[in-house]
Amino acid sequence: MIKRLTILLTAALTLVACSGPRPVATTPGAAATSTGGPAKGGKIVYGLSADANGFNPVTDQFAAQSYSMVTTIIEPLVSVDANGDWKPNLAESLTPNATYDEWTIKVRQGINFTDGLTLTGEIVKSNLEAQQKSPLTSATLQPLEGIELVDPMTVKVKLKQPWVVFPYYLAAQIGMMVPPSTLNNPLGGSRTPVGTGPYIFKEYVPDSRFVVTRNPHYWRDGLPYLDEIEFRILPDTQTRAQSLEAGSLDAIGTTRDEDLAKFGAAKDAYTIHRTQGMAVSEAMFMLNTEVAPMNDVRVRQAMAAAMDRKAIITTLRGGLTKEADSPWTKDSKWYAPGGAPHTYDLAKATSLVKEYEAEKGELKVEVLSTPDPNTMQTVELAQDMWRKAGIDVTIKQADQADLINRALTGNFTATIWTAFSSPDPDGEYIWLHQAYAKPIGAISLNFSRVKDDELSKALDVGRMNPDESARKQAYATVQKRLRDLVPYIFIDHLDTGAIITKSKLRGIGEQLLPDGEKGLPLTGSPIPYHPFSQLWVNGQ
Amino acid sequence: MIAGRLLRLVVVLLVVTFLSYALLSLLPGDTVTQILGPGASEEARAQLRSELGLDDPLLVRYGVWLGDLVTGDFGTSFVSRLPVAEELAARLPVTIELLVAAQLVALGLAVPMGITAARNAGRWIDQTLTTLSFALLSTPVFVSGVLLILVFAVKWQLLPATGWTPISLDLGWNITSVVLPALTLAFAQVAVYARLLRTDLIATLQEDYITLARARGLSPRRILWRHALRPSAITLITAIGLNLGALIGGAVIVETLFGLPGIGRLIVDSIFSRDYLTVQGGVVLISAGYVLINFAVDLVYAAVDPRIRRA
Repeated sequence: MIKRLTILLTAALTLVACSGPRPVATTPGAAATSTGGPAKGGKIVYGLSADANGFNPVTDQFAAQSYSMVTTIIEPLVSVDANGDWKPNLAESLTPNATYDEWTIKVRQGINFTDGLTLTGEIVKSNLEAQQKSPLTSATLQPLEGIELVDPMTVKVKLKQPWVVFPYYLAAQIGMMVPPSTLNNPLGGSRTPVGTGPYIFKEYVPDSRFVVTRNPHYWRDGLPYLDEIEFRILPDTQTRAQSLEAGSLDAIGTTRDEDLAKFGAAKDAYTIHRTQGMAVSEAMFMLNTEVAPMNDVRVRQAMAAAMDRKAIITTLRGGLTKEADSPWTKDSKWYAPGGAPHTYDLAKATSLVKEYEAEKGELKVEVLSTPDPNTMQTVELAQDMWRKAGIDVTIKQADQADLINRALTGNFTATIWTAFSSPDPDGEYIWLHQAYAKPIGAISLNFSRVKDDELSKALDVGRMNPDESARKQAYATVQKRLRDLVPYIFIDHLDTGAIITKSKLRGIGEQLLPDGEKGLPLTGSPIPYHPFSQLWVNGQ
Repeated sequence: MIAGRLLRLVVVLLVVTFLSYALLSLLPGDTVTQILGPGASEEARAQLRSELGLDDPLLVRYGVWLGDLVTGDFGTSFVSRLPVAEELAARLPVTIELLVAAQLVALGLAVPMGITAARNAGRWIDQTLTTLSFALLSTPVFVSGVLLILVFAVKWQLLPATGWTPISLDLGWNITSVVLPALTLAFAQVAVYARLLRTDLIATLQEDYITLARARGLSPRRILWRHALRPSAITLITAIGLNLGALIGGAVIVETLFGLPGIGRLIVDSIFSRDYLTVQGGVVLISAGYVLINFAVDLVYAAVDPRIRRA
């Protein structure tokens, strides 16, 4: 028997050895130099944590992982530079009128879709009109009044109100340009994306892989460098990391601190790129300010004061993240200091709980959590902290779909949450403004249902006032009101969202925008994404 | 007999599909939010809900779905907007290959183990194989999968850790991409099959006709392979059919772990995204497959043991 098994095993291994290179996806190394300069050629396999629903920016909801795949083919009108400022991309310029309620968008000359059509003002107009009608984005584009074609390469966007940072919205899904064929056949465009990007669609096997090849007619000279990219969909974080170790992948996205520690220790073999600045999302507990007992600010303050963030970071994040007391990181120009009530103070928390209970009876709170072990650990640790302050906390599990629906309809008291990674604070407008806070049972994009004139007016100033110092002052007010009202108990800035690559894969975080500025290295959360046109493989 | 079986299949499908439809409807969460995201307006949600027929009562929705199913229409996925039948057809070969490979691996390991253990009942080799069986049985699929990846892909770099290559693209790479998933899925089955075969074989080897065969001077090998193994395999064959359900359950985990685009992963993704029609399509496929395979198993009994055929 052992002899037969040995023969079988030998045959299997011989088969493996004789199989030749894996079809579609290989990592044979680039036709590159080893001198450090970008070189053309090579193929990479890139591990993603989730598949996309589809690739049509008008009809399919994009998560961060979708952007990794889609932006290789479809590009936005606008990009964000390394300072967090918007810069033209497919657009040559975006110019506001004096009152910022009109934006004139001029399109660059000579940009072609891979189906041969040239990008024109008419196509930009059609795309923006489709986005305005799309159920995915119509709420965000609510201030948009209409779009006019000024000349063949220029459109004018008319707004119902001043919107000083409107171009930022064109750096994401809303500003991604597809040809008329996609607009006319949304399902076709959803499965077979066409764009102006550095790569051309080659193959898509749902839940398995998405393959793109170099666009030889890309409008940016000399780009892209790689011949082919295979995105492999691997939801399990551990096998994704193991695949990188085993050599099956050249890069992975992760949020696990153990991956950062493990691959960080092998600096010669791997490079870690972590999110920074406004791209970093925040972990928090979101409180429903409309339901008891959270409608009493003392309860919210007590829960915030009982939260020992250092303990969470040390215990669960490997000490890698930083404490948060605001939606924006401390290295952002929008951050305004002022930790209270997000400073750990158990005595204060206990006192507030006693005050509440003397007036209203025993304090009981139900906290929602998704069932994944990492999230549950955070909630359980917080539960223990709140119990020390005298709050009776129970945990209820809800999967992601249930949790989001409960947040929308207000069917929750408190929940673990991750949010706030827009490049500009105005990106958080609909989540914080009282105009978007609806009664319990109705769909409310302001999930915490916090209603505050001062907060909302500050958000309006941030949206409508072009003066940066006025905007900074406005967002300082936003942060102050969030700290006073405590609709969110901020835990930490989740900068463990990272891309880990083999060291031979270069170019992440080094991309230049069309007009020469350095681009924003990583965007999105929890696992970030980045452009692929300037990635290259160093010679071996 | 066949008509009776088919009738039973129809009843099973009706019960299973109604229960799964009802259970999915009870799940909290909202299909429309999954499709449009949290940033969509209430008007857009209401419109899409109406378009998808989600405002209708459960029985009406089930009736419409069943009516379409009878005409061969599995419906259209809420999320991908593709026909469910098309989605299932694309995934089915992967899962079938995985299940068949896992069964072959399981039987390939279990039969020699069961025979060896039975022939050496009570001796050290039997006890060693019994211990090994229990170790395999008690190891969860996600643990054995990760361990196999660690050994064969990370340490020895013999096999790919993840990924899938269809047979149509390259047979060699297809086999390499199915080895670790099939081994992972097969491990728990190996233990069950080996234990069943060992027990039945020990009982058969104590039958009078085996004693008679020995008395007639037949070689132990001939007795084992010609006279003892076939009647001892009945329970094993039953288990193969019944284990299909467990295998499909394991396939869900294995497909996620190894990044295989199979039916199990499609169903799990569809449950999370509340894509009810895709889940229903998967349920129909698995239920029908389960009943049909067990029907085939009944037919195999007769071929294996002539006493059943005569009865």
